[in-house]
Amino acid sequence: MSLTPANDIVGKNNGRGLTGLLLVAIPVFLVGWMIIWPIISAIGRTIWLPNEGGGRSFSLETYGFFFTDQYSLNNLGVTLWTTGVCAVLLVLICLPIALYLRFAKGRLAAYVQGLAIFPMFVPSIILSYAIIRVLGPNGTVDLLLNAMHLPKIRSPYLTPWGPVIGLVWDNIPLTVLILLSGLGNVSNQSIEAARDVGAGRLAVLWHIILPRISNSILVAVSFTVLGIFSAFTLPYVLGPAAPEMMGPFMQRTFRDLNDPTNAITQAVIAFCFCIVFGLFYVRSVAKNRSA
Amino acid sequence: MSVLDINNVTKRFSTTTAVDEFNLTVGDGELVCLLGPSGSGKSTLLRMIGGFETPTSGHVTIDGEDVTRVPPEKRPTGMVFQSHALWTHMNVFKNLAFGLKLRRLPEAEIRRKVEAVLELVGLGGFGHRATNQLSGGQQQRVALARSLVLEPKILLLDEPFASLDQHLRERLREEVRDIQQRLKITTLFVTHGQDEALSMADRIVVMRDGRMEQVAAPDVLYREPQTPFVAGFIGTMNLIEGNVSGGQFSRAGFSQPLPIADGPAVLAVRPEALSIQPSSNVDGPRIHRVTDYGAHAIIDLELPDGFRLKATVRDARAWTNVRAATLTPQAFAAYRDNAVVYRSGTSA
Repeated sequence: MSLTPANDIVGKNNGRGLTGLLLVAIPVFLVGWMIIWPIISAIGRTIWLPNEGGGRSFSLETYGFFFTDQYSLNNLGVTLWTTGVCAVLLVLICLPIALYLRFAKGRLAAYVQGLAIFPMFVPSIILSYAIIRVLGPNGTVDLLLNAMHLPKIRSPYLTPWGPVIGLVWDNIPLTVLILLSGLGNVSNQSIEAARDVGAGRLAVLWHIILPRISNSILVAVSFTVLGIFSAFTLPYVLGPAAPEMMGPFMQRTFRDLNDPTNAITQAVIAFCFCIVFGLFYVRSVAKNRSA
Repeated sequence: MSVLDINNVTKRFSTTTAVDEFNLTVGDGELVCLLGPSGSGKSTLLRMIGGFETPTSGHVTIDGEDVTRVPPEKRPTGMVFQSHALWTHMNVFKNLAFGLKLRRLPEAEIRRKVEAVLELVGLGGFGHRATNQLSGGQQQRVALARSLVLEPKILLLDEPFASLDQHLRERLREEVRDIQQRLKITTLFVTHGQDEALSMADRIVVMRDGRMEQVAAPDVLYREPQTPFVAGFIGTMNLIEGNVSGGQFSRAGFSQPLPIADGPAVLAVRPEALSIQPSSNVDGPRIHRVTDYGAHAIIDLELPDGFRLKATVRDARAWTNVRAATLTPQAFAAYRDNAVVYRSGTSA
């Protein structure tokens, strides 16, 4: 009896490989054209600067300027601070919400999920003005306090906490959804097994749930950090004029100061910080795939 | 001495009653199987004993202490789940040591206990292995060891072999029984496989719609089922619905003396207790099919009204050209209103 090779039945390997390559060709081309090339171009334009002779030569002058300029460093500092505070707050706020949504049943859980996802549908600019109307000077909170003859609050508007409040609220849906998907992999029986051997609720959370969703936490933090580091609208509208976050700083350097080279340098520096978290994300995805 | 007492336990989920006024006492070192079809409430009952469900009413008592509202982490029970439920981020040793660490035992004692119980389940030297490197049978052994290492008063097994193949299931069944007898640990075992229950249990509780149909030793349950449901659920049984008139049970072409009052009745006869003789009367039971199993053969018979029944014979060859037969039950039971009203012999 003759045997038919599997390749003859399902198609030649070479043909399948070519089809696969064609399928990914367009997205790969777009990523190369619209992401990779601008990165390379930006790095090139910041280290290959015009010289006095009218040509171009290698120079780290713009980076030297950024890292010696106190104003630029303050801006980088406030961006890192905002990103770090937002990431911590998001995990602290979203983890209990995700845990509740994972384990609670009934209509209330559905409402909570709806509320948690709602910010996803609100544009940042509307959110900014909503925060100003509520927490800004003479906003709703002030009016209520005044009606109760209480002193005004110190408004977070135009302080570093303004963008923090807005960015946290804005990033809750994505963080909750990522954590929820991670929690979906923790089976009820593995939790019950832990309770069966004597683990209380905190021990279950610490020893069983958190280790199992550590990848999801890392992905959620990476995503939010990437988004917050380069955020523009909320820091621009709600944040202080100085120091300012990297997004508004780049825009102002580019447009108001008409200094594209330094604006691109700021972008490359922001990119270098983001790529670290991007690599965390890629690593955790690869780890999940291999598992 | 009883270790576990279940008193009038009921569990309702909104409109469904999963367990209904259930009572059971389990003695020290006994292995009791909860047997029943899907949805009969056996897993819910086990989960109430383990503390994962709270009874709507009634009480669960372990060693004289009412644990009805006690959470699982504070109960002296150990549960083995159907899906193994191993923690994949821990290796085998850590899976077993977790419960002991929570009890703050010294490191050396934890190591000693874990190694001893791994030896007990035949996994000595597997401590460093990742759980996803183990076969299904090995994973189930780890799950069993994880419960045993804490030396629970009651071991609860919730269909632990359901996801394993037949061969492995039979082997693990024997191993679990050996370990249970060696440790003399009181065990409740949920299964819907009658073979599993008959081969392992000291007593079997047959459940149906949240209620206990019968509780008895396996041989008693097999030979003296108290209801038609138990008779049909345990082993193969011919349940012939017919009428009794003048002390004679009859149904299309089949009759049998039955000294009970006139009226409808169900006659239960095991295939091995149904004696058959070749007959030339084709208006009576006819032979539909003969299936040869080597050591014995099963003959499928059909009554003139289409009702099918089975009989066991030793030699299939003697029946290859036979078309009809006469049937004589050697041992049988008769049921009316879901209760046994007459029994002849002890194999039905």
